[in-house]
Parts: sequence; C-alpha cells; structure tokens
Amino acid sequence: MLRPEMAGSNDNGAGTNGDRESQRVRTIIVAGQSSDRTREVLRALSGFTNVIWPTSLESALAQTSSQDAGCLVIADDLREEPIDEFLQEARELQRNLPIFVITNPDDVAEAVSAMRHGATAVIEIPPSYAALCEEVSRAMQ
Amino acid sequence: MKDLPQTVYVVDDDDAVRDSLRMLLKSAGVHAETCASAQEFLSSYDASQPGCLVLDVRMPGMSGLEMQHELNLRGVTMPVIFITGHGDIPMAVEAMQHGAFDFLQKPFRDQELLDRVQRALVRDAENRARLRHTDRIRERLASLSPREREVLELVTQGKANKMVAGDLGVSQRTVEIHRAHVMQKMEAGSLAELVRMMMAVAPSP
Repeated sequence: MLRPEMAGSNDNGAGTNGDRESQRVRTIIVAGQSSDRTREVLRALSGFTNVIWPTSLESALAQTSSQDAGCLVIADDLREEPIDEFLQEARELQRNLPIFVITNPDDVAEAVSAMRHGATAVIEIPPSYAALCEEVSRAMQ
Repeated sequence: MKDLPQTVYVVDDDDAVRDSLRMLLKSAGVHAETCASAQEFLSSYDASQPGCLVLDVRMPGMSGLEMQHELNLRGVTMPVIFITGHGDIPMAVEAMQHGAFDFLQKPFRDQELLDRVQRALVRDAENRARLRHTDRIRERLASLSPREREVLELVTQGKANKMVAGDLGVSQRTVEIHRAHVMQKMEAGSLAELVRMMMAVAPSP
C-alpha cells in the first residue's frame, strides 16, 4: 500500500517533498472529475502522492509526457470519449506507463476491450479505496 | 517447411456446448477438437500443433484460469479465448493480464465467436512465424566463432571497422574479414538487416 510518508502534496499537484527530498514523488494523473464516490476515492490518493486532474484525455496524454508520471487513471465520466483509441495512443507514447480505467459495473466487454487496447487494469464503479490504492501502489513500484 | 493445419481446441465440461461449438466451427471450415476437462487437454496437447483454444472459465477440477496459468508455466503461447456464463470484470481483467487473447460472455452470437477465433488463428500463425524467424537467427548466431560474435556485437553498436579493430586489438583488415564472414553466415544483406536480426533475438526489456 502507499504510505503517507511517500510524499507531501496537494490536489493541484504542487506537492513538495519536505524533508524527504531524496524520495522521488511520482504523479498520478487522473483524467476527468468523475462521479462523487469515485472522486472521493481518487482525492484520497492525493494524501499520499501528487495527483493532478486534467479534464480531458488529450490534456492527460500531454501531462504524461511533461510530468513525472507514475500512472494514469481514466475516470468514469470520460467513458463517452473514444477510450480504446486513446489507450492505443497512450501506449504508443508511454509504453510502460500503468493506465487504470474506471468503468461501469458488469460491463465485461468494455473492460476486455480496454485491456486489449493497453489498460493495465480495469476497476469497477464504485471503486474501493483499498483496491485502487493497491493497484496504484503496485504500479508506482 | 509446410505449416500444419490449424486446430481450434474447445475445452468445456458441458457436452452441449462442446458439441454446438464443434458444429459451428466445422460449418465455418475450421477443424476443432474438444476436451471435457483441463486435465484431458493438458495430457494430450502437442505444442507443435498450431491453432487456438476456446476455454470455459468454470469447470470442475482445474478451472480455465488455472489451466491458463499452467499453460503460461509451460511456455505455451497459443491464443486463449475464454468463454463464460458467469463472468465479471475482475475475472476478465485477471484473464487478460495473464495473456488471454479474448474473453467472451455467454450467450454470444455465433459470428462473434467465429470472428474472434479467426483473429486468434491469425495471431497464432504470426507468433509461430516470428518464432521460426528468431530460431533461424539463433541457429546462424550459433554458427559464429567467438571472434566473429565479438565483431558482430561491436558493428551492430554502430562502430566503424577502425574502432572495432581498436577495441579488439587487431588490424582493420582482420575486422573486415571477420565482418564479411559474419554477414555471410548471418545471411544479412546489409548492416541494417543485421541490426534488425539482433533486435529480434534481444531479450524483452
């Protein structure tokens, strides 16, 4: 699991490392604001590390190149956008970047499609903090 | 070498599903073999046989996911299409993370499965062609002398003959001779082709 001492940060991604400058803080990029419950869970992650919230997939993709991206989370309010194409593009640009997709419950076909197009894992709405934290933590390692 | 005909292996404990899938595949001109359990398949499977696998997730004894794990341990690269009537996202994600080619929920349309099977067979043919290609490169590499191997490594790093000669402490003329032998033994028409060959057999990052 992620530990609070891994980072000092805020929701805007302007995190500081405080007295742990030698410890590398990586950024979680969350594309989209998402539903209340999902947002709540995702915001909780900002207590552990840098989290930034681009509002579109394009912007998120640009951030993966400019930030010290630890992983990218695609929130459920962006499901209307062409996720598969985006995943493919993201994979071409960032081969090793862990990408998590938060999706509608029981939509197995969509989850399989996301995995085929390069998602690292797909997490159902409402995501549990423990599950998301575990996935992100594993990815950051 | 002539390719063996492709076979679709259907592994499902339900007799009716096995029979209907065999008939469906036969109607599409695809050769199919069926097994009632993971154990039955694993005990009879011949890795040299090209094809793909249509695998039920829930079976008594070894489940489909456990069988996939076993195939991975054995280094079997045959594409696996999972079928299940009780699938959920965590199960599908696990299967895909472990290399499944696809994951299909029952009930599905016949054409859906046939499309996926065709794609899986194409993938298997590509995998096997790639494997044969890298095997041939490895055979050629094994035919090089230790010195030729050193020259190969240095020239594919982009070093000129003069630099290779300096690194190895030999004359430039000697490097030229070794280099010519390398090109001949590796059946490479150019340095670029030689580099591509080395990249094809390089271990994945």
